[in-house]
Amino acid sequence: MIANQSRALRRKAASWLFTSACLVATVIALTALLLILWSLVTQGVSAINLEIFTNDTPGAASQYVGGLRNAILGSIMMCGVAMLIAIGVGILAGTWLAEIGGNTPYGHAVRFLNDVLLSVPSILVGLFIYQLLVVPMNGFSGWAGAIALAILATPIVARTTEDILNLQPNSLREAGMALGASQFVTIRRVIWKAAGAGLLTGGLLGFARISGETAPLLLTSLNNQFLPEEWWNMLSGPTASVPVVMYNFALSPDDVWIKLAWGGALLVAAAVLGINVLGRWLAREKKM
Amino acid sequence: MSDMTTNDIQSVIVPPPADSLVLEVKKVNFFYGANQALHGVDLPVKRHAITALIGPSGCGKSTLLRILNRIYDLYPGQRADGQILFDGMDILSSKVDVTALRARVGMVFQKPTPFPMSIYDNVAFGVRLHGAKSSSEMDEIVEESLRRAALWDEVKDKLTKSGLGLSGGQQQRLCVARGIAVNPEILLLDEPASALDPISTAKLEDTLEELKRDYTIVIVTHNLQQAARLSDYTGFMYLGKMIEFGPTADLFVTPKVAKTGEYIGGRFG
Repeated sequence: MIANQSRALRRKAASWLFTSACLVATVIALTALLLILWSLVTQGVSAINLEIFTNDTPGAASQYVGGLRNAILGSIMMCGVAMLIAIGVGILAGTWLAEIGGNTPYGHAVRFLNDVLLSVPSILVGLFIYQLLVVPMNGFSGWAGAIALAILATPIVARTTEDILNLQPNSLREAGMALGASQFVTIRRVIWKAAGAGLLTGGLLGFARISGETAPLLLTSLNNQFLPEEWWNMLSGPTASVPVVMYNFALSPDDVWIKLAWGGALLVAAAVLGINVLGRWLAREKKM
Repeated sequence: MSDMTTNDIQSVIVPPPADSLVLEVKKVNFFYGANQALHGVDLPVKRHAITALIGPSGCGKSTLLRILNRIYDLYPGQRADGQILFDGMDILSSKVDVTALRARVGMVFQKPTPFPMSIYDNVAFGVRLHGAKSSSEMDEIVEESLRRAALWDEVKDKLTKSGLGLSGGQQQRLCVARGIAVNPEILLLDEPASALDPISTAKLEDTLEELKRDYTIVIVTHNLQQAARLSDYTGFMYLGKMIEFGPTADLFVTPKVAKTGEYIGGRFG
């Protein structure tokens, strides 16, 4: 009896201790996050106005009320192109690993290299594209930036795709095939559909990763103070992006620039949050 | 060890009349890699009847069922030899178009496997694979299939809702509807009621009883009463062999092999 009671007490104490430790760790992590968000909002919100979307980045100490239009548009176009490539290649690669060739020696090699690519420092990717595209093409370009970003996002999409597809029950695959569907049709119409929300998460993770990347863009798309007349063709030359503008402006002594950098930081955070919320919402709508 | 025990048993097969057979399994062996799971199994399947496969866990009854539509093809390392005659062709031949075969030999699994799409699209899925239909034709096929699966009255007002929202029993009948929508000649059922409550099971059994007028049904079951209630012919399997096969009434009342009697009497398994 007594032994039982003391054991129960000991277990209760251990449980309490562990729960408290978890709580403390959570509070620490959340506090850091909240502090970052708080300073982002307080410092950045005063920079958000109409001009930030309609005006381009100002020169040093200029009287012109500047904005981030060229950088925002550049970021949207580079991230957009990068995500198109990453989702296309990543989902196909992940599907191949999960459904078709993942257990062959070649499959193991692909998975291993993909994992290596996941953790490659982004500046190395920038250097790689610099050598591969910027030097031969004699100039920085938004296309080079987009491809560098795509290389960063693709392994994330591929990895999540493979993981999500592996979670789908085999019975679903068998059910599709048992109706006379080919493997391709079963994957496309049944497995991808069942994994929809998870595939979307992979895309969102990839986007979150590249939306704030600065290092590879410094070596590929560089910057551009002006929005070209033919803005739809802006990627063929040096292209401004929000992270690079933030990097340049935040390090300057110019108060206008520093304020714009805060505004840019807030916009990037808001965009990542917004796209995440939108994605979750779309995924839930589809399931109903 | 295990081989020695079954080698001593003389298997007894009492086939249905030869002209009533739709499918004939002859001396089939099956391997999971190096593991032999079936040893020279015979199974005659009678047209427009229900054939039940019974036996203790791991005896190979599900394995046998999964050969009949070549679903094991999905897994490298699994292979079968022997002969399975179906409409003049050998199912096991490498020349067989498995897609066409599976359209003629449908399958319902142990756990309900509705696709993540609407009830309507679930039923239409297989039909769309095998050729375009006008939307009115498709509506008819979907309604007819759901009626035959005894599900129509429960879902007719929510055909556009997801099939995942149905109860387990309804999901299983949805899978039956999906299977018969492509109008197969044979329907394979792998313990279709094992995940269902008694009421859903009774509904499913009524459905199968109805279906046997137009389809040939092969059902694997753990439930001996279910086999006795439903089936016209029963095969008892043990350790990868067909020990006894015959008309259900004979097999359950006067088994010819001692092992069959022991299993039915609940002495093992």
